[in-house]
Amino acid sequence: MKLAPVPATLLFASAGVAGLLASHLIPLAALTLVLLGVCLRAPARRRRPYLYGALATGLGIFIFSPLLAVEGYNVLWQGGPTFPVLGQLGVTTEELRTAALNGLRLSALALAFSAYALLVDHDRLVAAAGFAPRSAFAVALATRLVPSLERDAGGLSDAVRGRGIRVSGASGHAKLLSPLVAGSLERAVNLAEAMEARGFGRQTRTHAPGLPWTSLDRIALAGGAFLVVAGALWL
Amino acid sequence: MIARVEHLTFCYPGGGPPALSDVSLQIGTGEVIALLGPSGSGKSTLLRALAGLVPHFHGGRFAGRVTVAGLDTRTTRPAELAGRVATVFQDPEDQVVMARVANEVAFGLENIGTAPAEIWQRVDEALTAVDALHLRDRLTFELSGGELQRICLASALALRPELILLDEPTSQLDSDGAEDFLAAAEGLGGAVVLSEQRIDRALSLATRVLFVEGGRLLLDAPRDEAGDWLAAHRPRYAPGAPESLRPSPPTESPPILSISGVSYAYSPGVLVLDEADLVVRRGEVVVLEGPNGSGKTTLAKIIAGLLEPDAGRVECAGRIGMLLQDPGRYLVRESVLEEAALAVDGDHARARAALDRVGLDALVERHPRDLSSGERERLGLAAVAVAEPDLLILDEPTRGIDPDRKAAIAAWLENYAASGRAVLVATHDRSFPAHRRVSLSKEVLVAV
Repeated sequence: MKLAPVPATLLFASAGVAGLLASHLIPLAALTLVLLGVCLRAPARRRRPYLYGALATGLGIFIFSPLLAVEGYNVLWQGGPTFPVLGQLGVTTEELRTAALNGLRLSALALAFSAYALLVDHDRLVAAAGFAPRSAFAVALATRLVPSLERDAGGLSDAVRGRGIRVSGASGHAKLLSPLVAGSLERAVNLAEAMEARGFGRQTRTHAPGLPWTSLDRIALAGGAFLVVAGALWL
Repeated sequence: MIARVEHLTFCYPGGGPPALSDVSLQIGTGEVIALLGPSGSGKSTLLRALAGLVPHFHGGRFAGRVTVAGLDTRTTRPAELAGRVATVFQDPEDQVVMARVANEVAFGLENIGTAPAEIWQRVDEALTAVDALHLRDRLTFELSGGELQRICLASALALRPELILLDEPTSQLDSDGAEDFLAAAEGLGGAVVLSEQRIDRALSLATRVLFVEGGRLLLDAPRDEAGDWLAAHRPRYAPGAPESLRPSPPTESPPILSISGVSYAYSPGVLVLDEADLVVRRGEVVVLEGPNGSGKTTLAKIIAGLLEPDAGRVECAGRIGMLLQDPGRYLVRESVLEEAALAVDGDHARARAALDRVGLDALVERHPRDLSSGERERLGLAAVAVAEPDLLILDEPTRGIDPDRKAAIAAWLENYAASGRAVLVATHDRSFPAHRRVSLSKEVLVAV
């Protein structure tokens, strides 16, 4: 990521806001595609769940909301069973347009978040937080431990399956929740010990300097502001 | 003189015998000290005392005096000692704080107040010293255990400490990786105290040897003298000690496992296993060896049915049980007995017999997480073996295990196999005794 963490975060946030505010299909589709292109710069294995979530949500909105909404007069299709409250299913041109707009809005917002999650250096972003640095650090640390938790959950499941016991269904996995929490607490204690041994909590803390902002960072900031304004007024 | 320990006696909170009893020693600049002893003998406690974590972090009763770089650890908190002292713990997952490698190495430097202009330069130097500069911008949670261990050492080296404490730091590294790792620590120029269970590795670097047992310092001598003492009193710890078990191959017996053409890739195009073939016969103990990343664990998991191969065939004539790496982390019940009985539908008689075989019969009512790390490992083994699978697979079972216990496990496994079953051990411990060794290499990726 060539952008510094702060301008990158602001740019992605602005893109998400612009996506929500936009009301024209083509510029919104273009914004979504650009955000998708940005996310594709992340490693394939990491980006997969983010992209799947973002695109599947948008697609779901596009497919289902025309069936549930009642809007417009240009009927494209009507039929199927009659449902209580909803009546007979039908799709109009206006409903399709609204569904596409809402689907793209949601996808753009999710992709903006994905780009932030996948590409921004969160450690440095936290370090740049001028207020409540301890709290910001705690949040970043908790985020860092999520992958460990996922790995522990997988390990627990494998360990039990390795003994020849099937782990299936919600109740099977729920039984592993308590040992997972116990293991996490143990890990937290070990981590606290390691942090103390590495000097955490000393009063003399300094910060590794971030790279000085380049013209690209300034352009990103200006671009972010422009995106919000454009989203509100023209997109 | 960097550190001095005077008549140190320490008990952890909750009573029990002292973890350290009347230990005295001095550590000078440039010394590389191998700290040896059985699991639970007090090695880690001694390292923690030198880092100030005992008593500040753990509490307990502390008598005697420890001074490091002229600072009394009773009145100086561990965080204040950081920079003068650096510690690398056994499990890298439990000490990594930041999400990106460069930030992780910079974390300690920032804490001790290093001038900002120096930080990135020292980060790069430290990463270069452990041959990990290429990992600089990677995410820490995407790294393997071996890579993480190198990052932890880099984080310690970056501080340029006067005293570096290494608590079994190479447990997840293959032989070559471990040698590079220890050479980097030695190259620091300060004093190094290295607690290791792979004895030859530690002794090849050490200038001095400490042997701790039951919390007492039994030996403090230069390496050559120590070799004689170890050979006479603790032969399994002596340099080049012969394997305690030299089993002869069993006679030809029917195969219990047959795999052919097994391939696996975690991501498209990046093969971890490429058409691996392997046959294991009843009565055999087979070691599956290879460097980090060669696919040992992957193959073991495929055999155990925990992963589906992309291609190839796995046939097993019987039930399979697998003990994962670090089994002490994956205990799921509220008592030792229930843990062992889980795989046999709560059959306490069989669970007690399995616990008896690994020496845990006196601890059946204890909570698994109250056991020591060595006891947890044995409980993990009992919890898998209780169902008496025809093929028992163990992934790195000697990690952090002392030589006596390793010999005991090897003997136990040989007996297990001799009863008409088979054992497959995935490990990079080249000294683990077996009837047959099968290599997975990064270049060939084929088991023979």
